[in-house]
Amino acid sequence: MHRALIFSSLNPIYSKLSTTTASPDSAVFPKRDGGWIGPPPVFRLQNYKRTLLPPLCSASDSVANQPKMASQDEQDPRISKISSAIRVIPNFPKPGIMFQDITTLLLDTKAFRDTIDLFVERYRGKDISVVAGIEARGFIFGPPIALAIGAKFVPMRKPNKLPGEVISEEYSLEYGTDIMEMHVGAVQAGERALIIDDLIATGGTLCAAIKLLERVGVHVVECACVIELPELKGRERLGDKPLFVLVSST
Amino acid sequence: MSAYRDKDPLIHGIQSKIRVVPNFPKPGIMFQDITTLLLDPKAFKDTVDLFVERYKGKNISVVAGIEARGFIFGPPIALEIGAKFVPLRKPKKLPGKVISEEYVLEYGKDCLEMHVGAVEPGERALVVDDLIATGGTLCAAMQLLERVGAEVVECACVIELPDLKGRERLNGKPLYVLVESR
Repeated sequence: MHRALIFSSLNPIYSKLSTTTASPDSAVFPKRDGGWIGPPPVFRLQNYKRTLLPPLCSASDSVANQPKMASQDEQDPRISKISSAIRVIPNFPKPGIMFQDITTLLLDTKAFRDTIDLFVERYRGKDISVVAGIEARGFIFGPPIALAIGAKFVPMRKPNKLPGEVISEEYSLEYGTDIMEMHVGAVQAGERALIIDDLIATGGTLCAAIKLLERVGVHVVECACVIELPELKGRERLGDKPLFVLVSST
Repeated sequence: MSAYRDKDPLIHGIQSKIRVVPNFPKPGIMFQDITTLLLDPKAFKDTVDLFVERYKGKNISVVAGIEARGFIFGPPIALEIGAKFVPLRKPKKLPGKVISEEYVLEYGKDCLEMHVGAVEPGERALVVDDLIATGGTLCAAMQLLERVGAEVVECACVIELPDLKGRERLNGKPLYVLVESR
């Protein structure tokens, strides 16, 4: 059963308050012929007021690490339609798993639009220059958000899919490990990033994505997912990284 | 038809952002890497806008995107033209009941799947992918849609490799691309 969840908790997002320059050593961009070009012109960030966004849940929330449930009054009216557009498929990919299928959400043009709008409303004007999306369902939600907030989109992929030079991060699965990759040069040190996926379960994949970005000096502002499976405690696995979700499913 | 022949100045900007990576995934292949295009918000937006301008108001209710890079371009187009987005996936990824279409690779075969019920008879559809090479994958995608009674209005790709003659393989279905790469 889905519970529609909306914003609660303690820690607001802070925008960067100072100007910054890209370090020439860290900023390289691929050229069409396979070479490299130098950093782009320096961009200056404006001073932002502390955001007025509703605060987020964090792992350090003193209320038993559970997000507060929205009352009827607080809930964004779009959330319930989004929640009901998600189909649950029992026993996929294996017995006992209740799979959260977002493809039915994508068939509902208004609900899909609302999903994107809810993220865009949260992140627009917050000086986020990178939206990283995790293959493959993160590729569906990430690009529309990136386009709307004027950020670049960076795909985080399974091994051997990205053609250029990559950095890799190994992470644990229930049995064994997997690897996530990102192109070298896609992001610069100091950039502010979101990570997008359709769903957070154990948080292993999101953690790997956070590590990849932090290894190159990017500040991961928040992880954003359509759905959370709170019993799998993925939120705790993200440590100090905030997580924002639209729908919580138990 | 390709936008490139119209010499739209936006096209040149888009083309310049595509990175060619030699010998990937194997020797002799010049891989067209669109990830560098995605790093340029203006060029990425221009790419989507060119497709949206073409398809808005044409009563298209389905945008089908081919896993995985079609998932990057398809949804923004679908959202802007008010169509649903239907992912076409490799086997065993879609959780519900599917229909499958097998297609031929250079060596061996592969399979593309679509959820039953995603598309209804009579709907007008686009198929979107980042690139058309031999056209095998796009053909399989069109077959899936036509088997459930949808009308494939056009296939749309960012890049065409004209030497591989994918356009001919589409059985007369129109193909629209932004950039040709020889």
